[in-house]
Amino acid sequence: MSAELVFQQALNGLSFGALLFILAAGLSLVFGMMDVVNLAHGAFYMLGAYVALSVVQRTGSFWLAMVVAPLALAALGLVLEPLLLRRLRGRHLDQVLLTIGVSLVVVDQIGVVWGREVRSLAAPAGLDGSVALYGGDYPLYRLFVIGFGVALAALLSYVYSRTKVGMRIRAGVEDAEMLGALGVDTDRLFALTFAAGAALAGLAGVVAAPVFGLQPGMDLDALLYSLVVVVVGGLGTLGGAVAGSVLVGPADTFGKVVFQEFALAVIFAIVALVLLLKPTGLLGRIRIAR
Amino acid sequence: MGEFKKNELAEKRGYSYRLTRRQFLVATSAAALAACGPAAVAPGATGSAAASPGKTLKIGQLLPFTGVYSELGNSMRRATELYLKLNDNKLANRPVQLIYEDDANVTATGIQKTQKFIDQDQVDVMMGVVPTPLAYGIRNAVHAAKMIFIDTNAGGNFLTRDVPNCTPACKSPYIFRASFSSYQISYPIGDYLSAKGTKDFFLAYANYGFGTESAADFTTGAKKNGGNITGNVAPPLGNADFAPFVTQIKNQPTKNVYSFFSGADAVGFIKTWNQLGLPAAGYKMYGAGFLTEQDVLKEVKDLANGAVTSLFWAVELDNPENKKFVADFQKQYPLLPDVFSVQQYDGMRALDEALKKLGGDTSDKDKFSKALEDVTFKSPRGDFAFDKSIHNPIQDIYLREVKTQNGQTVNTITDKIAKVTDPGK
Repeated sequence: MSAELVFQQALNGLSFGALLFILAAGLSLVFGMMDVVNLAHGAFYMLGAYVALSVVQRTGSFWLAMVVAPLALAALGLVLEPLLLRRLRGRHLDQVLLTIGVSLVVVDQIGVVWGREVRSLAAPAGLDGSVALYGGDYPLYRLFVIGFGVALAALLSYVYSRTKVGMRIRAGVEDAEMLGALGVDTDRLFALTFAAGAALAGLAGVVAAPVFGLQPGMDLDALLYSLVVVVVGGLGTLGGAVAGSVLVGPADTFGKVVFQEFALAVIFAIVALVLLLKPTGLLGRIRIAR
Repeated sequence: MGEFKKNELAEKRGYSYRLTRRQFLVATSAAALAACGPAAVAPGATGSAAASPGKTLKIGQLLPFTGVYSELGNSMRRATELYLKLNDNKLANRPVQLIYEDDANVTATGIQKTQKFIDQDQVDVMMGVVPTPLAYGIRNAVHAAKMIFIDTNAGGNFLTRDVPNCTPACKSPYIFRASFSSYQISYPIGDYLSAKGTKDFFLAYANYGFGTESAADFTTGAKKNGGNITGNVAPPLGNADFAPFVTQIKNQPTKNVYSFFSGADAVGFIKTWNQLGLPAAGYKMYGAGFLTEQDVLKEVKDLANGAVTSLFWAVELDNPENKKFVADFQKQYPLLPDVFSVQQYDGMRALDEALKKLGGDTSDKDKFSKALEDVTFKSPRGDFAFDKSIHNPIQDIYLREVKTQNGQTVNTITDKIAKVTDPGK
């Protein structure tokens, strides 16, 4: 591989990693707080992408879609948490199973409403071109994705560590029962966290749509990759999502072109290795079984 | 947990609760009902049974209605129902009952449903099957049951060839194909292009059975006239990010790229191809026809301009049968027909013609097979006939170039390779 090629593939890997971060951040947040691996996360991602498709078709504005889709998913999350998940609080495995059911319903409804054809979304005007970089033209939108991922990580980190909501979330991750005893409305906090996780999935759907397109089955791909990222990085921490996506994105990209015959095996080899050497993931916390 | 009956032993072993027998029965029968859901019988298809003399003809259709190929299943279902509607819901004076089963693109599921068609529904004929692995998977069961099966999509070469040990599949007297073999959409274009003087190619193909088969057939075709394959990239099927692969293509010198992708993969490949500026860098896209079929062009539009592909049909094909087919289809549905609907429509037509010769009698499967072998008709794709020794269609292959005319992006026919037969014996 020439230096130019390595540089371009590194950009491909980083932009893929940035998308993975946006996707995995929500999954990790919900798990950290509620101890629930939300297997409907991929379906939420898919729904976000399709909502964005409709917004762009109606208004022509990609930027509006980037606001509307996360809000729509947040609203869905706000309904689903009290309606379904709350009833099974404390029964984590049942909650996980429940999220599978939710994902099946959501994906099927998407098929009914939007159809099952392959769809695509254009990058927004201004970002649909390319810029000359070392070794050739590179699409602006993918550079934007890298920037957006970094900005979102910074924003989330700020919310986590500097705001009152963030403080409560961190406290809830540590010990939700104690937080409730101290007078915080944990029901509300859980609902908000779940909604925020759903919104992040929706946001990932919008941002990824111009790169990956929209099609049946995209929910499972997204879920698989986001699980890989959080398992490698460590469940339940923001740093883990960052570390996981920065590692998995480029590893997947280089793995696919260097070890063509083992394209899919590379990231799972990483998963196996990480689990073997550090079962909590790179930056995972040691959890006390509850 | 209160609503469930507690069981001490189960609790000791760490289970939190267990189902009573009644709960188990309710749950499993609900699941069984749900599993039967997609097997809906088409409304209207069984109507007017009293007025018709023949016994109801049962057609089992194994199609994907969920998962990544669900739109193909929908398209083939539309074609089936259009054909029946235009023929008064009868084939050879027998009223038709359609039984649909959803394979969900899972081979094991498809094999189960095939067994259901054979044992439980006892259908007279079976049609459909989108993925090649499924077609290979059901081959032995269909053959053993002497079930007439008209494959209306899966293009794996081995299904209609004589193969030692029948691995992974081989031809059968009871299996017919109304679609194509992967050889037919890949070899002729390689042969054609290299004969016209384009010698060096780089390959990009989805890394699964059908993609690798197609790439190999193209390679054989190109090498026949001194062509040369300089390298390849092979993304996994259903690959999300095409940038790594297109970047590899851009960093190698061969400008002519033959690719095999379809559906979502094709959309992703063509969009990334443009985003990374390959047309401006002088790269040219060739491929098997599915790369630029309607489902793809609808999304990528003029980004695919200039791509040259080969297929046995195009919506713009200028013949009376195709004009009528496209018009009929559009009268019934608010969209253009695609190649999958043509395959299914021709499958129905072949079945219809064979039944007419038999007077509607499907009891003798060997006579049924013989009648199908002799079927010829004018299809929207041109002259349709089965290769009698292997049951694959003999068909014209069209070279098509993507152009945007009056705001519509279409495959324009540039040339024709007449009467392409699969080399299977």
